[in-house]
Amino acid sequence: MRDRIEREVFLIATPEEVWEALTDPATLQGWLAEEVELELRPGGDARFRDGSRLRTGWVEEVSPPGRRDLDERGGRLAFWWAESGEPASRVELTLDPAEHEGTLLRVVETRPLEILDLVGIPLRGAGGATFGPALVAA
Amino acid sequence: MFGALADPTRRALLTAISDRPAATATELAAELPISRQAVLKHLTALAEAGLLDRERSGREVRYRVTPEPLSDAVSWMAEVGGQWDDRLDALGRQFGRGPHDTA
Repeated sequence: MRDRIEREVFLIATPEEVWEALTDPATLQGWLAEEVELELRPGGDARFRDGSRLRTGWVEEVSPPGRRDLDERGGRLAFWWAESGEPASRVELTLDPAEHEGTLLRVVETRPLEILDLVGIPLRGAGGATFGPALVAA
Repeated sequence: MFGALADPTRRALLTAISDRPAATATELAAELPISRQAVLKHLTALAEAGLLDRERSGREVRYRVTPEPLSDAVSWMAEVGGQWDDRLDALGRQFGRGPHDTA
């Protein structure tokens, strides 16, 4: 019962440069999706379009590299996304400085089965984007 | 379906059952710190959510994990994993990609 994807890639760029690629809409559209709208604050709206596929969601964490609450110069961006009628999943992108002025980017995407403990509520994509903070506040 | 999994005891039960071909409420109650009656209640909820199949075997009912949600998980991982491979390839082309990938 592990609905979890993990990938790591070593990039020849500083964590700050990679952070820019993770958060600048124009740059995001070069690799994450064809159209990206990401409101860079916890609870902000997120919207991703690839052809006819539309995902909507919300931002959970925005921690740029260089913040003291993370190890050294690491950074982290976390958001939730779901297609209409599909269960939401959580995407966590973590940056860590690596050798030769490079950056190790780790991507973890999980579906709720494994992380219900963290969230404490069942998450459903059915009937639209009724997941995340909206459900907590309801 | 996910609502039935919000309870940690239910997830523990599902994990215990998925480790073997099938299990009875009596067997599961012997392994977990809850009564057979409580086990039965959770098994019923999981079966109603479509996560377990019930099968009568003599006097007892044997429960097994429904194959569909699991194969759904497998296809999800294949699809989502492939999407991230493509995205990270595109990102890697922007920056240049080092030798330490585990992708």
